[in-house]
Amino acid sequence: MLANVCTGAIKGIEGFAVSVEVDIAAGMPTLAVVGLPDAEVRESKERVVAAVRNSGFDFPSKRITVNLSPAELRKSGTQFDLPIALGILAASGQLSAEACAKISHFLVLGELALDGSLRPCAGVLPMLISCQKLDKTAVIAPQNVLEGQVSGAPFITPHSLRELADYLEGKLEEPAVKMAYVPQAQEEISPELDFSDVKGQALAKRALEIAAAGGHNLLMIGLPGTGKSMLAKRFPGILPPLTQEEALEITKIYSICNLMGKSRLLTRRPFRDPHHTISDVALIGGGSTPRPGEVSLAHNGVLFLDEFAEFSRSSLEVLREPLENGRVTISRAKETVTYPARFTLLAAMNPCPCGHLGDPVTPCTCSPMQISRYKARLSGPLLDRIDLTVNLNPVKYTDWNQKSEGETSAQIRARVLQARQVQQQRFAGSSTTANAFMTNREIKEFCPLPPGADTILETAMRKFGLSARSLDKILKTARTIADLEGKENIETKHLVEVMQYRPLDRKGVADL
Amino acid sequence: MNPSISAAERLARIQLNAFLYFRADWLERLIEIFGSAQEILRQDAQTLAREANLNPSTAAHLLRDAFAINPQEEWDKTAALGGHIYVPEDEEYPQSLRNIKEAPIALYVLGRLPAPEQACVGMVGTRKITPYGRRAAAKLASDLAQGGVVVVSGLARGVDSECHAAAVRQKKPTVAAIGTGVGRCYPPENRALEKAILQYGGAVVSELPFNKPPNAFHFPRRNRIIAALSQPVVVVEGEIKSGALITAKLALEMGKDVLAVPGPIDSPQSAGPNALIRDGAGVVTAASDILDYIPQQLRFGLDPHFLQKEDQTPPKPQEELTPRQREVMNAVGGSQASLDQIAEALGADVPEAASLLFELEVKGFLACENGLYSKSKF
Repeated sequence: MLANVCTGAIKGIEGFAVSVEVDIAAGMPTLAVVGLPDAEVRESKERVVAAVRNSGFDFPSKRITVNLSPAELRKSGTQFDLPIALGILAASGQLSAEACAKISHFLVLGELALDGSLRPCAGVLPMLISCQKLDKTAVIAPQNVLEGQVSGAPFITPHSLRELADYLEGKLEEPAVKMAYVPQAQEEISPELDFSDVKGQALAKRALEIAAAGGHNLLMIGLPGTGKSMLAKRFPGILPPLTQEEALEITKIYSICNLMGKSRLLTRRPFRDPHHTISDVALIGGGSTPRPGEVSLAHNGVLFLDEFAEFSRSSLEVLREPLENGRVTISRAKETVTYPARFTLLAAMNPCPCGHLGDPVTPCTCSPMQISRYKARLSGPLLDRIDLTVNLNPVKYTDWNQKSEGETSAQIRARVLQARQVQQQRFAGSSTTANAFMTNREIKEFCPLPPGADTILETAMRKFGLSARSLDKILKTARTIADLEGKENIETKHLVEVMQYRPLDRKGVADL
Repeated sequence: MNPSISAAERLARIQLNAFLYFRADWLERLIEIFGSAQEILRQDAQTLAREANLNPSTAAHLLRDAFAINPQEEWDKTAALGGHIYVPEDEEYPQSLRNIKEAPIALYVLGRLPAPEQACVGMVGTRKITPYGRRAAAKLASDLAQGGVVVVSGLARGVDSECHAAAVRQKKPTVAAIGTGVGRCYPPENRALEKAILQYGGAVVSELPFNKPPNAFHFPRRNRIIAALSQPVVVVEGEIKSGALITAKLALEMGKDVLAVPGPIDSPQSAGPNALIRDGAGVVTAASDILDYIPQQLRFGLDPHFLQKEDQTPPKPQEELTPRQREVMNAVGGSQASLDQIAEALGADVPEAASLLFELEVKGFLACENGLYSKSKF
């Protein structure tokens, strides 16, 4: 007897349909799964055997072959349990002919517990979205209901294998198809993290505003306790809200990584702050079965790397590809997957290994050699991708105690939104989304120099040791500052302000 | 070049000089015992140890180091850079260096050494220079150089570089006694500075073999060369335990005067000079203070204009500054201030403060380090 059940699998962040073919023939009792299954798919055999028995069915003592087609693509995940079990029931004649006929209308995704109840699995959302064109009703675990609702596809959520079988037989009306709709308030920027909480640090706040408005990467250098992390945590609050496509994109990534939690659709920009001991693979993604890394989890959001100089050299170097292209391509012998990874990099570091360089109270104990070696850990190509650098200095007590609250996140965000709108119009019809991503041609077109700017740039190059290569970054950043002011063209004062955000370029050598 | 010393003996001296773990006066004692450096190199380690009463392993080490270099190559490579290797018997070998107990038995010189009647002042200090030290070093070295004094320092980071650079900016000669072999620049970022020193008639000197990489124990040794070449020695900034204070101590042992630039009592970099002052060192607040310590016979030809006392003249008015820019200078004051502090003092927003600071920095009134602004001139 032969049965065929439709299910799905993941490649990269997209799903694809998989058909589970089950054949039962006379012979030695075995259960063989073929079609490039990964370890967790092969393990599903044991779960399926127990779940079928414990749901009150017989597990056939015959030769059972399960083929996952298309056979050339690797399949991983635990969603194959339920379709395999259903196929075995159909092929062994334990379901009626009418029930078997109905199976072809469903896309079945679910992990089974040994008692036959359904458990959630990862990646439901991208699989449902990709399989929408098949026009099937999805069968998913009740815990995956939120993802089902986001996908917009019709679905049912049986609690167990038995319940699904009964429904197919027509014994049950509709097994919890009409799950009570769990109303969920639209998540807003959490009010407990507001920019007005941070006292002083006007320069750093301004730099963050520019970074948010133009999508620029930012490096904060400051003594311990000057508020680097505090500012970084508030940064997502001044970013523009997610568009529907952006939200769907990141929700898919989180669905694959099983990080959805209680949310239906992620409406807040992600903020990821991995520890500096993170491995290259965890940061960038990969593994023998490729999985998205932190850079992809930060897609459309913020990747905050605290203690930037403490990250391993190789971890920092692998960041270069996503920073440049906005995506990560992982190539394995058998497959190549691409994960999106367009994030704003916020990096923070101490000015020196002991952390007290420039501290008015505690003197620094590092040797000049140690300091230059510490700074040299950030390679030129990496720093080239960071448009803004800002030094944070200790806040005075008067600042900390000041009566007047600083600007709120909402006020800053309003300006950011305005600047983003200008950019949207500017880049209409281009793949560029923000000033930070302008191509050379676009820089030429949109960043004409104001009269007299040549002298400023030349002076800056001589005085601050700026390289010709950093000129592009200066222009992009100046463009954003002009956009924040609503100015048509870059003005001299915008260029001059950018010079404040380039402290790493200043040479420590005496002028000749 | 002194003809009394044969070319072969000169090369032997250069070879012997490569043994770095011996004081130069001990090497001279060996030369006395054996009659010549060539004779020493003809011995085997055992004879050397027996005759000179040396530890056998030291003797073996000496010969190993000496034969590790090829003196002809040293000579040729130095000559290729336009330099010379002098031995104390040479006329060109600086008299002031010959007088000390541990005069190097070979001295590699690039550029032109100052004449014997030229006033030379040593300026030393920490590598971890503060903005105050930068201002002081630049001002003093610049005045000295314009006044016709040769500034002697060590080409290290911080105070040393600042002093050399100040002299070079005035297109005046300055002497760098370095802690590496000639032909190698350490720290590497000072390569342009080294080139400029040679361009403006200064000299780079070292007793180490050609292209020898830096090593911690080289630096105290080269400090004695700085001390020997100078009179007086000025300590600009330095912690209590620092190379600058080693130089000061060596200078005192050689009978030289040591002067110190006073600094804030809570700055670790000024602890050294302040301690020297407490112990009786002369106080330097202007180049004129240094002039008093330059030996009488060397003052001839100095330009007193730059070395005069300036107590009566008021601080230079910043006449070319706008009122707003002057406000910034007042906000910075004598210490360091961040953009935030300056903006707050002025009641300005970030863009305005940024543009004021940029103009002042470009004009050279302010310097920025680690996000903190400080005055860069007096």
